[in-house]
Amino acid sequence: MNPGSKPRRPYGIGTYLLMLLGVAVVGAIVGGFAGAFGDMPGPAGLAITAASITAAMAVAFAACIWWWRGIDEAAREAHKWAWWWGGSGGMAAGIVLLTTLTVRGDETSLADVGLSVPDLIVTGMWAVLLFQLAGYSVAWAVWWLKHR
Amino acid sequence: MNNRLKVLRAERDWSQADLAERLGVSRQTVNALETGRYDPSLPLAFRIARVFGQPIESIFLDTE
Repeated sequence: MNPGSKPRRPYGIGTYLLMLLGVAVVGAIVGGFAGAFGDMPGPAGLAITAASITAAMAVAFAACIWWWRGIDEAAREAHKWAWWWGGSGGMAAGIVLLTTLTVRGDETSLADVGLSVPDLIVTGMWAVLLFQLAGYSVAWAVWWLKHR
Repeated sequence: MNNRLKVLRAERDWSQADLAERLGVSRQTVNALETGRYDPSLPLAFRIARVFGQPIESIFLDTE
């Protein structure tokens, strides 16, 4: 960063809410499109599904870049610290819990809940992400409390 | 790392929000800097030095 460059100003909460609303609208449109046309048989349906998810992720990622450029360096440091320590810690806790509940062969196992294999994979992926986000949120709050 | 941000700001009768506006950061960041719990990047340290018209080493004090 050029030390002489003019810093960007943080955006207001209203701007962020508008951005979130925009991403949600785009996600709904893309989801509706994928739901309507993604069940087509053959490669066409697969391509539509892949393109829809890619488009939604691209919009969300572009929004993230825009948001990241609008926050100052302490806020970035808080997010980086929280994502590394909180996200990693949350992921570790989630993996321990989910693995323990899945690999057991008795009635406490989650492996026998009636879900298909693809459902279990997607559920596991989202479950680990939720654990990461939970750890990240806690660590982010801790960072700001420590730096007040 | 200690710094003289709070003193320099008080000498100019600026609020944390005033300084934050001049630096292009949030008030929370100024607060974290003043309490010595967050060390700024070099670009931000240069901006701080420019805002106060003083060299970096007269604002930030190496405690080691």
